[in-house]
Amino acid sequence: MKDVMGIIYTSKDDINMRELTSSRAVSALPVIGRYRIIDFQLSSLVNSGVRNVGVIMQKNYHSLMDHLGAGKEWDLHTRNDGLFILPPFQTRENVGTYDGTLDALKSNIAYLRRSNQDLVLLMGSYSVFNTNFEDMVKKHKESGADVTLMYTTRYRDSRVSPSMLARHTYLKLDDRENVLDFEIGPNIPENPNFCMDVILMRRSMLVHLVDQALAHGMKDVLRDMLPQYLKQKLLTVRGYEYKGYHRRVESVLSYFEFNMDMLHYDIRQELFANPVYTKVRDEVPAKYVEGARASNSLVADGCIIEGTVENSVLFRGVRVRAGAVVRNSVVMQESEIQEGVEVENVILDKAVTIRSGKLIGQKAYPIVIGKNMTL
Amino acid sequence: MLKKSCIAMLLAGGQGSRLGLLTKTLAKPAVPFGGKYRIIDFPLSNCSNSGIDVVGVLTQYQPLELNRYIGSGQPWDLDLTNGGVFVLPPYVKGKSGEWYRGTANAIYQNISFIEQYDPDYVLILSGDHIYKMDYNKMLQTHIDNKAAATIAVRLVPWEITHQFGIMATDKAGRITEFEEKPAKAKSNRASMGVYVFNWQVLKQYLMEDEADKKSSNDFGKNIIPKMIADKQKLMAYDFEDYWKDVGTIYSLWEANMDLLMDPPLFNLYDKRWRIYARNPIQPPHFIGSSAQVSACMVTEGCEVYGAVSHSVLFAGVKVEEGAVVVDSVVMPGSVIKKNAVVRRSIVGERAVVGENCDVGEGGQSEIALIASDTVLPAGFKVRPGAQVGPEDAVAKEASDK
Repeated sequence: MKDVMGIIYTSKDDINMRELTSSRAVSALPVIGRYRIIDFQLSSLVNSGVRNVGVIMQKNYHSLMDHLGAGKEWDLHTRNDGLFILPPFQTRENVGTYDGTLDALKSNIAYLRRSNQDLVLLMGSYSVFNTNFEDMVKKHKESGADVTLMYTTRYRDSRVSPSMLARHTYLKLDDRENVLDFEIGPNIPENPNFCMDVILMRRSMLVHLVDQALAHGMKDVLRDMLPQYLKQKLLTVRGYEYKGYHRRVESVLSYFEFNMDMLHYDIRQELFANPVYTKVRDEVPAKYVEGARASNSLVADGCIIEGTVENSVLFRGVRVRAGAVVRNSVVMQESEIQEGVEVENVILDKAVTIRSGKLIGQKAYPIVIGKNMTL
Repeated sequence: MLKKSCIAMLLAGGQGSRLGLLTKTLAKPAVPFGGKYRIIDFPLSNCSNSGIDVVGVLTQYQPLELNRYIGSGQPWDLDLTNGGVFVLPPYVKGKSGEWYRGTANAIYQNISFIEQYDPDYVLILSGDHIYKMDYNKMLQTHIDNKAAATIAVRLVPWEITHQFGIMATDKAGRITEFEEKPAKAKSNRASMGVYVFNWQVLKQYLMEDEADKKSSNDFGKNIIPKMIADKQKLMAYDFEDYWKDVGTIYSLWEANMDLLMDPPLFNLYDKRWRIYARNPIQPPHFIGSSAQVSACMVTEGCEVYGAVSHSVLFAGVKVEEGAVVVDSVVMPGSVIKKNAVVRRSIVGERAVVGENCDVGEGGQSEIALIASDTVLPAGFKVRPGAQVGPEDAVAKEASDK
């Protein structure tokens, strides 16, 4: 896999997850106690032997930069290749923001040209999965197709807004997995093959097509460029089915449900079948004091539990004080639930303190408390 | 190479024979401690936090796991262009070449390593103790005292003085007498095995000691007493915080239990003095619906379905439904199967305690030890104070049939 490079397109703040992404990119969303979404894409690439990864950043890239550092946790702090952080920048031609994936690729065309891998794996940030790309690359080479797209038939809908639906892409396939047509943003899809925004193609071809597509006023690789060129029979496109656990994090509810999914043993085994790397924080192991109660929960290092925790995901350094109850909730790093407080169906962002009372949301509408808030 | 004012030499070659089966296949400094650490994380983190950025680790006994663990030194920020951590096994020099014959000989054999950095001071450490210490403060005291050597000292209970180097000091803290592991101690001021030496002075003594064929080439037995006899200025440096020798099964168990007190006897939560460790790369731990956890430490990768109280679980430990773990230390990757009971025990790495096994007893009974990679067949009983290794378990099962 030395001949494959990766590019991750991190989406900007998203209106559908306003409370959670107001201060961070979707890729930087904290998930499952100690990870960020990008860890899954990065780890999949690294576990497949990819040694050159570019991360296209958006305007609010601070927390993502902080997380990735020099890339040493992913073994990407190497002399040759390694991790390349590609934030938007201003020049005579660039305006300082990216207007779609094609524009982002165009701005970083020099990086694409300079890389020396034959193939490029281009991916978005909404789909969470854990895979080894070796088989996909092998099939891609054998098939001789120009482009291979990863898809899943396991997409689960969790009340997505129309603006997000418009971003969904389904593939119409023949029985040999050749893509016959794209279904862009259907309200009710005709095909079950949900496209995971993972695109494999020759690097030189991508460089060539980006220029052409932009000249024709296109914005997005997956939704504009590939469908049009397929229609014009300029490209052959194939599908590759990913059979493992997949979750699209695209709304507050899907974020909540994704975390809750991990309380199931089988799903956890599936998503963590290959190691997932993340930034190390050197926290002390979690501590349960005498009288603490916990059940059906994921708890990260650095937590101190004195009260009760049920069906919840606790991130690093969370404190649940004596008499406090945390139920069906996602509690991010360094948050604190003080004596006697009860929370249920809530998402507490980083460093939230709940000092008194009850905070009860509904399973289908979890309450979100923003970063650094004290209630 | 850039000159360094002070470098550290960490003696990690000892077998730790008092830890029995636990150190059969790994060096004592590599023994797991406190849920996610290994003993060597403490001196290495202390070095890193004290700003000492050249650390030579002298290895000899079963070094493979230790070498792998230290790696490039990245977890302790010791993967540096100018400095870092270096594993120093004995090596062949010209026609000679031999094992390290003692602590002083180990340093003697690495004089050329030390000289590369042209240090003014050398800090000698051991990989046997759990403590947090600012070596820089000790070094500063050493410099202020214009001493030839400074030894970190603490009071220990009288009944264990025979395990330590014991010293007498005058009012100013100058060491007047030093006895290594005395049968009858005159004081309970014990050496912590942390020394600062003026390098030029130490080098002189190391060479003289090497020339002395009768010497056992040991710091406590030879170098320190010789320096006192020569009226060199040796100072004691009092250290009163938590410090524990984890050289025996019981003390290792007890030090783990110290972490469970509320507030803990030994505080790992100080953000300005973090203890670093190599990360196991596992998801957060999971507590099942049927589980009970109380007064315990649990770390990443654990899956708990049974009842765990007053215990320390290391990375990736699995406690199945109906299993009971009390007053115990379960090291990385071990599995406690259904309905097994583990009390007052240390379970080594990657061990399996089979269904319905009964390990150890409650009360004040002796600590039972299941060695690493041991697979206990279902229903196996381990008495308090017993040590069971992989071969024992197999033999027992065969005889049962």
